[in-house]
Amino acid sequence: MSELLDRNITQRTLRKLDDPKPRRASRERSARYRAGRAIGYIAMIVFAAALLTPFFWMIMSSLKSANEVFSVPVQWLPETFVWSNYVEIWSRSDIITWIRNTLLVSTVVTLLQVLTGSFAAYGFAKMRFRGRDVLFLLYIGTIAVPWQSYMIPQFILLTEAGLSNSLVAIMLLQAFGAFGVFLMKQYYETIPEELSEAARIDGLSEYSIWRKIMLPLSVPALASLALLTFVNTWNDYLGPLIYLRNPDLWTLQLGLRSFVSNLYDTNYALLFAGLTISIVPIAIIFMLGQRYFVEGIATSGLKG
Amino acid sequence: MATSARTAAPPAARKVPQHRPGSKLRRHNTIVGWSFILPNFLGFGLLTLVPIVVLFYMSFTNWNAFGTADWVGFANYERLLTDGSFRISFLNTLYYTVLHIPLTIVASLGLALLLNNKLRGVAFFRTAAFFPYITSIVAIAVVWNLLFSPDSGPINEVLRAIGITEPPGWLTSPEWAMPAVVIVGTWRDMGYYMVLFLAGLQTVPRELHEAARMDGANVWQRFVNVTLPCLRPTMFFVTVMLTINSLKIFDLILVMTGGGPGQSTSVISQFIYRRGFEENQFGFASSAAVALFFLCIAVTVVQFLWNKKRSV
Amino acid sequence: MKRTFAAAAGIAATAAIVLAGCSGGTEATDPDGPITLTLSGWSLDTTPEFQALADAFTEQNPDVTVELVGYDPVEYNTLLTADLAARSGPDIITQKEVKFVSTFQEGGQLLDVSDVELPDGIGGASSYEIDGASYAVPYRQDSWVLFYNKDLFDAAGVEQPDGSWTWDDYEEAAAALTTDASKGAYQHTWQSVVQGFANAQTGADILDGDYEHFAPYYERVQAMEEAGSEVAFNTATANQLTYQGEFGTQKAAMLPMGTWYVATLIAQQASGEANDFEWGIAPIPQEDASTAGLDNEPVTFGDPTGFGINAGIDENKVEAAKDFLEFAASEEAAQVLAGIGITPALLNDTVVETYFSVDGAPGDDLSKFAFAEHETLPENPTSSRTAAIQGILADMHTAILSGSSSVDDAIAEAQDRVASEVGTD
Repeated sequence: MSELLDRNITQRTLRKLDDPKPRRASRERSARYRAGRAIGYIAMIVFAAALLTPFFWMIMSSLKSANEVFSVPVQWLPETFVWSNYVEIWSRSDIITWIRNTLLVSTVVTLLQVLTGSFAAYGFAKMRFRGRDVLFLLYIGTIAVPWQSYMIPQFILLTEAGLSNSLVAIMLLQAFGAFGVFLMKQYYETIPEELSEAARIDGLSEYSIWRKIMLPLSVPALASLALLTFVNTWNDYLGPLIYLRNPDLWTLQLGLRSFVSNLYDTNYALLFAGLTISIVPIAIIFMLGQRYFVEGIATSGLKG
Repeated sequence: MATSARTAAPPAARKVPQHRPGSKLRRHNTIVGWSFILPNFLGFGLLTLVPIVVLFYMSFTNWNAFGTADWVGFANYERLLTDGSFRISFLNTLYYTVLHIPLTIVASLGLALLLNNKLRGVAFFRTAAFFPYITSIVAIAVVWNLLFSPDSGPINEVLRAIGITEPPGWLTSPEWAMPAVVIVGTWRDMGYYMVLFLAGLQTVPRELHEAARMDGANVWQRFVNVTLPCLRPTMFFVTVMLTINSLKIFDLILVMTGGGPGQSTSVISQFIYRRGFEENQFGFASSAAVALFFLCIAVTVVQFLWNKKRSV
Repeated sequence: MKRTFAAAAGIAATAAIVLAGCSGGTEATDPDGPITLTLSGWSLDTTPEFQALADAFTEQNPDVTVELVGYDPVEYNTLLTADLAARSGPDIITQKEVKFVSTFQEGGQLLDVSDVELPDGIGGASSYEIDGASYAVPYRQDSWVLFYNKDLFDAAGVEQPDGSWTWDDYEEAAAALTTDASKGAYQHTWQSVVQGFANAQTGADILDGDYEHFAPYYERVQAMEEAGSEVAFNTATANQLTYQGEFGTQKAAMLPMGTWYVATLIAQQASGEANDFEWGIAPIPQEDASTAGLDNEPVTFGDPTGFGINAGIDENKVEAAKDFLEFAASEEAAQVLAGIGITPALLNDTVVETYFSVDGAPGDDLSKFAFAEHETLPENPTSSRTAAIQGILADMHTAILSGSSSVDDAIAEAQDRVASEVGTD
């Protein structure tokens, strides 16, 4: 079986982007196929409805008045639709600044994480040197420590470096995680060594191999890493809370929470309106980018 | 002459390595290897590794964030062993992890398999699966608390309608609170791990499926003999991350139950938070963090070794 | 090897910085020039008290500017801790919770302010005394009273509170007031709603590890839930009910709550978020008749909010800082605070008048009595063990009221936990 696997892995890498449609739809089985597909669709719709129900409640609650949000029994639809919650967030809060800050931080962190992570992952996956495995275990080990337990020494360190109360602090915190390295390393391990060997014979340096062979072949992994990093940074609350004290540095999550609450209570309707606004960019990015998770592997230009 | 560095790669046929022997090659490999790692490692080392080393040091002191940190040796660890709350949170954490991991893997892998096609509208369904992960955790806690409300919540209304006269108390009952949290945790993480599995599924060659089908294998056999073996690196990654994230679980529990009712959902991360930030016993909290670290490492090493054995 | 040495040096440096235990320092200033004091506050947009005090002080002392530093209200102590640990804390540290005072003091973060003169009769000063010295000054002290909806009382034909109620009277009234549309009372889910009264009215000290005195109070809550006169704890938790929502939309006729709610209710009635109805405040029901009635002082609980001075403050600023503390506790400041609906720590007749002259405040004498006359005992004793003990008691609270554990079992468990995890010395 392994020889078959081997040959076919090599062949897979030469496949073009557009895969041929599944050949299953032959005449005799088309009826059963369509019935199966219909059931599949229904199952997916029911499932999607279950997944989205809490989100639906959240949107409905964003259109209620503050004291109406929580009640016995649960209210699904608002009595009167209070659209002014959204107006209030847009006009009375500093949401544009918050969105700008969050966008800036998320983009920079994603770029840094994807680049340095995949770069380092190549070192871990394809190069052999002393201490490699121990170092990698160390990387993974740090994921195991909850952030709030070393948050204070980290904060002191960054404050001494003069970086607290700046967006740079957040960028530094998130950009060099072990998660990206781990993800890319696993993916690189599925790329056969023959490709790199052939490239080395052709005289390419390791860096060129990374750039010309590894990167194009790992588009799904890069896409998922980029998306997950972006989402995590976008939704991060505690990091910005500790490091960003100036209101004009606030990110979206921070600004929203602070806008809708004071000491004793939180205006949940307003908060939900803000959170709904905050989800929209991510949902759009996901819908546009999710085809890259399942993209067929691009040709690498190797001769057969 | 070409040289190559061998790694523990999947079972592709191996050619006999031809390389110049000696330390010069090894040094070259080390330098090049480190040059790849360095950009990431610099940031990681300074910002994560150093504070964590300080954390380890703190666990041997009685630091309270302001005062001087007096060395107390293993006193914190001894206290940890006899602390009833720590034992409870340790067991709760294991309980959550053992329930959460299989559920999430099955759900997210299932979703990935289901949605790994080019049907019309699949983009919408993938986005729907991902929505729970991108929704703010505050909103999630609020909504699920309502859904789980024992008297007036929709979930119990449905259960009563199908004949269960005494539905569980969910988040208000010590027996059902943790299962309820596990349900919400799985609901939330499904989409996240689905994305990772989707990427991993792209490494499964279609030709193999074709060949297997022509050999007469059915869907299940193809799944077990073709898909799963090819997915091993991804599965390893997902399992390790899922395990560590489950052992570390904090914000979900904090906003959903605060550790209650009583201590039935209090977990190690929350124990660390309370001792550190509510009671300012940072030294003691650090020792609990170190304990959690070693727990994660132990489990990860086991998974590492298991994976290495399977991939040979 | 060089790499290891560099790494070790880096780690040692960080450890040294982190663990040096220096207090949060502030910048040096010119002794004769204008002085700027930084003061920590929260939710600055919606909490006007800090700016009000800062402005009033600057009017009297034109060469001192008080600059407010905003913090997140919920994570205030975490953020303040991080700042003080990194030596970037404010000059004047607002003591939001008494639980943390001893931590700050033991960590050497607070200056001794025993020489700041406090007016007679100011409430809450004892919370800031540690080992005979005073480390902060109270400017505000809310206490807990009973809010009641006069319209609902009239509609149900129940006699309104007259200041002489005991808890039995309260229970009876709640049962009589319950209709299909509204409950007799609303018991908010915080532990303080039960434990604060139990501690204050039985004279118990949570530091001694004995919690039998909680039993009758919890049993009463369970009885009221059973009788249907208040929403069950589990429902209130799961549905995340808010006390502003329950009382403000008239779903409950009575509400034990702190005096800070007066200003909120007035504002919400003005904006329409709360219904328009007649309401007042009454002294909280008493344990027995000995402290009830208008001739006696009802016993209730409440913690002060105060200002402390950063021990690392620049020497030239110390006097100005102490002046600010003295001002904040004075009658003038109390008038300023009463005018914006905050309950000052110093309550005398003129201050009370100012407080109730706000549009929308209840005008009856009982409300004024409830506001002004009370023996307010601290909710949190000042000790480094308080935070841990309160955490254990919070777990006990949820265990009892969620029905997971019987009252006696939960109390016994709490006593065991305190003895083994915290110590009772």
